[in-house]
Amino acid sequence: MIEITDLRRIYRMGNVEIRALDGVTLNIEKGEFLGIMGASGSGKTTLLHMLGLLDEPTSGRIVVEGTDFSTLSDYEKTMFRLYKLGYVFQDYALVPDLTVMENVSLPAMLRKDRTEEQYREASIDVLTKIGMIDRMDHLPRELSGGQQQRVSIARAIVNKPDILFADEPCANLDTENSRMVLDLFREINEEMDQTIVMVSHEDWHKDYFHRIIRLQDGKVISDGMEKSSGP
Amino acid sequence: MGQKELKVAFLLALRSLQRGSRSSVLLTVLIIGMCFTNMIFLPGLFNGIGQSITKQVVDYEVGNVLVSPKTGDQYVSDLDATLDLINGMPGVERATPHFTKGATLKYRQRILGASVRAISPNDEKYVSPLYTKMIAGSYLGQDDTGEVIIGKPIAGDPSIRQEDEWQSSLGGVRVGDSITIDYGNGYVKDYRVKGIYYTGWSQADSAIYVSYTDMALADPKAVDNADYITVKAKPGYSETFIKNELIQYGVTPKVQTTADLLSKSMGRALQSFAIINMVSLIVSIIITTVVLFIVITIKTINSRRQIGILKAIGVDKEVIMHNYGFQVIILGILGIILGIIITSAMALYMAVYPIVTPEWSATLYITPMDLLINSVILFCAAVVAGYVPAYQVSREDIQTAMRA
Repeated sequence: MIEITDLRRIYRMGNVEIRALDGVTLNIEKGEFLGIMGASGSGKTTLLHMLGLLDEPTSGRIVVEGTDFSTLSDYEKTMFRLYKLGYVFQDYALVPDLTVMENVSLPAMLRKDRTEEQYREASIDVLTKIGMIDRMDHLPRELSGGQQQRVSIARAIVNKPDILFADEPCANLDTENSRMVLDLFREINEEMDQTIVMVSHEDWHKDYFHRIIRLQDGKVISDGMEKSSGP
Repeated sequence: MGQKELKVAFLLALRSLQRGSRSSVLLTVLIIGMCFTNMIFLPGLFNGIGQSITKQVVDYEVGNVLVSPKTGDQYVSDLDATLDLINGMPGVERATPHFTKGATLKYRQRILGASVRAISPNDEKYVSPLYTKMIAGSYLGQDDTGEVIIGKPIAGDPSIRQEDEWQSSLGGVRVGDSITIDYGNGYVKDYRVKGIYYTGWSQADSAIYVSYTDMALADPKAVDNADYITVKAKPGYSETFIKNELIQYGVTPKVQTTADLLSKSMGRALQSFAIINMVSLIVSIIITTVVLFIVITIKTINSRRQIGILKAIGVDKEVIMHNYGFQVIILGILGIILGIIITSAMALYMAVYPIVTPEWSATLYITPMDLLINSVILFCAAVVAGYVPAYQVSREDIQTAMRA
């Protein structure tokens, strides 16, 4: 589903060259719940941003379901993000002036293949699924961190994207809320056969992943299953 | 950019204004409202002064059309025939003659130079509202002799000492008093003051009015001559129409409309007003543009991370740009509405309490077209000021925006 070939991302800060990604090559299959782990500065978030079309690689190729990202125009990338990808951020990144319902509906509203009735129905379905339907008229500031992250997940999946990216979605949550979010990801993955790529540095999150890519200094140092020692 | 994208952009804009900083919204609307008021106030005031002067010139000096002697002639001659001709023409409400003579007035110990204006009192009523401006006594009768009406500043105030007066007067003439008029041609006569008037137009208020019959006694030339004839147009007839009719009907003296006369006498003043209006307009537009530019720039800078996130979840940059564009449009419309309310309130207030000077009394003269033109200008300035920063920030790449 996702083919990544010799992906490199080099940042230059004055005369210093930082190799955030240094020749990453891997494949991700449909329906996988993939964890990207590694120490801080290992290139996890950079890789996720490349896959999520939020940043441009210095070199290398990313092909998603036959679409080579390097051939897409700016507008096509936006449309690809809208129709094919979902993104969950570490700090929830909800629009503060929109209600829960409006935040979740926002990506669905923009889809040309959805009527108002259809996107409202989809938003209500997904809010019901994550248990936030009773808070649909609340503003983000009226919700707890865990609730906000659930709304962020609802927004990411309302368009039924092919791939869901999550950038340390539990970083600001306590263990209970983190488990709730991970259970939700697992449920979405199992029930909807949703491909999920999640960045994490918490050891106990490993139990949720089908496969773990471990990065160090921008390189893949391991690729496979790992067991955690518990939360 | 489809309807859906515009709808989302409008929703984002509306929610940002509804649920964002209220004080910021109110302050911005207030500033736009004040800029609108500033744009319209000065031109409105100048227009008001112009209207006031024009009205007073029409009412107390020249009517709608002035018939004056041909070049080289001292008087409009063959007066009765000329008046009959003019009064018989379509569109003419009434034509009335004026004959003015310099004279010296004497009252007790006071001596004062003034213009004595001879009028045909009955006809004058159709041309000038002078008869409605009596503050004491009564207006002249058609064939009154030995009686005058005088302006309040000429009559004077007995409580003000002569050395304290800003305009010389007769020191407190009252209705029924007798004043002596010396016409300088050997004709000296005592007149009873029949009435005192006050128009607010200094040239009229500084004069003395006698009947034409009386003036004919003082100066026989007044019998069939006039310094000029003022013509009042019937409602619905333009000054130009009357002027053209008069010329066409063979009225040989010089015929000029009020507009002709004002353009000669006030042309330079009107040009100065136009320059001041333009400066005021440009300054207001610059202030509005800069303020809105700053407001929207601050908004976009504070929302850069959010803009990055919106782009990350698939919101197109055009939607983001129009979001801020719509915010400016809404703020602009609210500001303009506030400006219209403020200026209308000021216009109403000044209609009741006009600015009064010895020369004119001015109200705020604003037409619906003035409001419309200024609204459109301000609206365009607001849109430009809002869209420029919105365009810039919407083009920023996602990573830069999200790192903000």
